[in-house]
This record gives sequence, C-alpha cells and structure tokens, in this order.
Amino acid sequence: MARKPQDNPSLDMTPMIDVVFELIIFFVVTLVEAQKKDESIYLEDGKHGVVLTPEELPAQHMQIDIAQSGRISMGDVTLLPDEIHRRVKEKKAKWGEFPILIRADLETQHKAVRKVMDACTSAGIWRLSFMAVHEEKSQERPKLRKERGL
Amino acid sequence: MARKPQDNPALDMTPMIDVVFELIIFFVVTIHQDDIFSRLNVNRPAPSQSTSSQQEEDNNVTIEIGGSGGINGRIFFNKKLVKRSELDQHLRDTARTRKSTPIIIKCTDDSPHKALVDVLDICYKNELYSVSVFSM
Repeated sequence: MARKPQDNPSLDMTPMIDVVFELIIFFVVTLVEAQKKDESIYLEDGKHGVVLTPEELPAQHMQIDIAQSGRISMGDVTLLPDEIHRRVKEKKAKWGEFPILIRADLETQHKAVRKVMDACTSAGIWRLSFMAVHEEKSQERPKLRKERGL
Repeated sequence: MARKPQDNPALDMTPMIDVVFELIIFFVVTIHQDDIFSRLNVNRPAPSQSTSSQQEEDNNVTIEIGGSGGINGRIFFNKKLVKRSELDQHLRDTARTRKSTPIIIKCTDDSPHKALVDVLDICYKNELYSVSVFSM
C-alpha cells in the first residue's frame, strides 16, 4: 500500500505514541518485578565472596530479608519464622536442594539471623548463603550510609 | 512542506529510529545502577546439634563472635580476642597448613551480623570454604 500525498502537512504521531506507551509499560512492569525487597537493609561489604550474577544463581532460589529491627520478610511481606519454615519445606518438596540467600542488615542481631537459619535447617536446607556487597555502584547505598551514620 | 507521493512503498523508518534512540538514552540515564553483590556460603548444622560441642576435633579452627563490641562485635580466634587484621593473619597461617581445615564460627545472640559477614569474608579471602555457623 503506497502512501497517498497528504493535504495536511502535520506529522502523524499515532504510531510513535503507540511505541512509546508500549515501552513505558514494558519498563514499568519489569522494574516493579525487580524491586520487591526491603530497601532499608544495609549490607556489609564482602569483596571476597562468590559474585552473584543471574547465571551463577539459579532461578529456583529463595531470598530472605532481615531488617535492622529483626523484621523477617520475603518480597516485602513480613513473615514469622514458622512461615519461613513452611515455605522452605514446600519449595524443597518441589525443587529438591536449592540455594537460600539471606539478605541481613549489618546491624541485625544474630538472634534474628539464627531464627531464619533454624527455620531453614529444620526444613531440610543446610547450605545457606549470606548476601554482601562485592562492589558498590548504586546511588542508594551511600545515601543510606549517611542517613544511618555508618 | 507537504509529503510527496512515494514511488517506493517501503516504510520510512527514520522517525521510529529517532524515537527509539531517544528512549534508550532516557532509560540509560534514569535507570539507577545496582550494586554488585556477592554471597558467602556456610553450612548450618541442625538446631539439635548446635548445643553439643563434643564433635569438635583438635585441628578445627573455632572463631567466636560476641556482642558488646558495638557494631563490630568482638571476635575470638581459638578463645583469644583478636582484631580483624590479626584474624586475617591467623587464617592465612591456617590456610597455608591445610586448605580444607573446617572453620567453626560460633555466634552469640547479641552479636551483630556485620561481624559474622566480616569473618566469613576473611575466610573466603584466605580460600577457606568449609565454614559452619553455630549459634550459642
């Protein structure tokens, strides 16, 4: 279908706007998916740990957040140790052995970390990983450090 | 300037490419960069075992982490209070003797998580990977 000569010299914006909206929706959806975590957690440096890359960590893993106050959460939902235990048990039945990543604030007392670790081991997962920062690149971390006077 | 009829029915891609470039630049600028994370793997013995310390062998290395040392906690290497640099030195010696030496870390309930991560990082630095964490 060849284009017809236009009487009106104004540019047709419709397809352009369509593309822009499509892209905005795509990015909004993917960003929301990636940001489900407790933003208040400040991780300790761990330069010598195994660098976490999407390839290194299988999709079948679990991440448990522990805030400074000892609040335990997954994907921003606060959970009790019993609920963690139940979830780990369910996943183990489905996936078998899988990695558990504990993302705990550096000022968290070991008491809270212990609860999470015990919930995991009693559900049958003995190998746990602690998350640390290999290299600081974000703008948020220095801001958080200043706020908390670390 | 009105458009002329085109001989060629192919779609003019130029404005679309312009828009796409604009968007790419916009997102590159606005999307924040994320930190690069690492993970430190540990073995966690069963809760029932954590109270019994009978199974310790002589060649194990025991590191105890206690609270009341502020945010850094207090670290004991084989019952002796040490600084982080001293712990690094001790673990380097341990690694030189035997890389597979089991490291046992015992944490008190009031110890800060920072101390545990620091100790684990020092273990990893010295390529000591068989680390178990107990709670006291």
